[in-house]
Amino acid sequence: MVDIIRATRAGPVHLVVLALIMLVFAVGVYTSDRFATPLNLAGVQDQMVALALVALAQTIVILSGGIDLSFAGALSTLCVVFAMIAGDDPQTLVMGVAAVLALGASIGLVNGAITVYLGIHPFIVTLGTSTILSGTALLLTRQPTGSVPVFFEDFLYERLGPMPYGMIFVLSLYLLVGAMLWKTRFGTRIYAVGDNEAAAEISGVPVRQTKIAVYVLSGLLAAVAAVYMTGRFGVGDPRAGVGFDLRSITPVIVGGTLLAGGRGGVLGTFLAVVLLALLGNVLNFVNVPSAYQWIVEGLIIIAAVSFFARRAR
Amino acid sequence: MTAATETRAGDAPRRNAGTVRARNRRELAMLAVFLVVIWAVTAILSPRFLSPANIRDILTLAAPLGFVVIGQMIVIIVRGLDLSVASIMATVAVLAVGMGENIAMILALGLVLGIAMGAVNGYLVAYRSVTPFLATLATMIVLQGVRFAYTGGAPSGSLPEGLRFLSTGSVLGFPVALVLLVMVAFAAHWMLERTVFGRRLKLYGVNPDAARMTGAPVKIMVLAAFAISGLMAALGGLVLVGYVGIVDNWTGRGYELDSIAAAVIGGAALSGGRGSVPGALLAALILVSLFNIVIILGLSVELQLLIKGSLIILAAAVYNSRARR
Repeated sequence: MVDIIRATRAGPVHLVVLALIMLVFAVGVYTSDRFATPLNLAGVQDQMVALALVALAQTIVILSGGIDLSFAGALSTLCVVFAMIAGDDPQTLVMGVAAVLALGASIGLVNGAITVYLGIHPFIVTLGTSTILSGTALLLTRQPTGSVPVFFEDFLYERLGPMPYGMIFVLSLYLLVGAMLWKTRFGTRIYAVGDNEAAAEISGVPVRQTKIAVYVLSGLLAAVAAVYMTGRFGVGDPRAGVGFDLRSITPVIVGGTLLAGGRGGVLGTFLAVVLLALLGNVLNFVNVPSAYQWIVEGLIIIAAVSFFARRAR
Repeated sequence: MTAATETRAGDAPRRNAGTVRARNRRELAMLAVFLVVIWAVTAILSPRFLSPANIRDILTLAAPLGFVVIGQMIVIIVRGLDLSVASIMATVAVLAVGMGENIAMILALGLVLGIAMGAVNGYLVAYRSVTPFLATLATMIVLQGVRFAYTGGAPSGSLPEGLRFLSTGSVLGFPVALVLLVMVAFAAHWMLERTVFGRRLKLYGVNPDAARMTGAPVKIMVLAAFAISGLMAALGGLVLVGYVGIVDNWTGRGYELDSIAAAVIGGAALSGGRGSVPGALLAALILVSLFNIVIILGLSVELQLLIKGSLIILAAAVYNSRARR
């Protein structure tokens, strides 16, 4: 049991977030009969799939000591490209998926290579690529365009019991990435580079390759998110990614991952995504306008960060 | 946030002030040449570009970004980052405009509000050890909520005449906003280069421990840097709504990243300690010119995003390689 706890890197942070989730859930049940229905809870899960995928990518990058702000532009471009290729039948769908995965990986490769070889802060690099990709998406099309096969769209709206397929996919990806972080040498290297780059270098960690691989992985996950988002919309929206750059960071931080890198993990991010999605849903039920939801979200960030800042010392 | 990739430049032995200044001058020259080249090319392709009305347009629109980038750059010098500037711009604009017709009252109230919001950021960063990125991200979101709660979704009410004058009026033929910007820029430049406070800010950016050891009150300094950024954002917000003519909950949207981009293109480095007012203003002028140029030349508006993005990376790469040499 201890091993499992250590392996999942569960800690007080996770218990706090879990307690908050239960609190929010209880409030939800108390305030509305419609809250705990399968339909509503499936809706909440649908809401969090895209954010969960992007936050997963952001977690890996932040663990390695970097940051990826390119999601805004990358998601927009990937969505448009996917919808342009995916067409109406299985064959084009497969081609579309392959194309955006390749494109996503290339975007990550460019981010990583510029960060590593030119020594520019990843914030600046990804801000630049995000701007370029936002422009690219809008140059490709000003209006939502393209299509995805109908069966694919239907599939994403279906559920297995209480859980939409999208959510099952998210869970398996989190487990997969979690296992990669905890069990593989690559995962250990990510933590090592994020914790202390110079020390990692001296101990023989291939710092540059690790960093580049992290951004490539981030690009791949962004591509997966784009496939899901486009599948749900049914078209490729050239503004699909707007806001995802900063939104992707909140769950990572609330989940206990340090922005400086080297500490944290995907379990916290997942719990934080659940918390934020449930919170939004419940606040809607009690008719709290989005204005106050923002205030709550900002205060949660401040609370989380001051809590972790004290812990780190 | 200050990733190890960038500390390398700072760890190298510091060159004497003379060569640093010469390097800064070369960087400024590069920016100026770039600006002149894009203006010249555009002027050749479209004579309309250099018409007084268009030049005036560019300069007036550069003013709000100019204010914001000065504040942003000062925060970046102390190893910070201010993501809340756009939110401060809009919040100040929304709150101040509801205060009646008295322009002095609006200005005073708006600027005090801006300073207060920036000071909250500074407090979180300097006294609570919160990363600037997260402190200002949280403030950005909270202010967004405050603003929408206050306006109930859609702000209304007409803009006071005085505020319109601030942005579109002229004194002796010069746009008021521009005159104001030049005054603020001189003050900020003097503060950074000629006062103890300014030098301490830069020292802190280069080496926080060294600054602490000289006995400088570093916490208050960092708080002040963020407060200045809040003040500049408030000013930028008021000038921007005056120019646009309507108050909107999203006034200034995008200015947070644009101001960071301009500061970086202007020679500031996120690792701290570097940055100059003339550089930041030239960069702001370049960004605003790009937008104007694509429209004048009848190109896709989206093209400016491609150029802007490439410029951000290119500028950072050039400065980085020069700093290392």
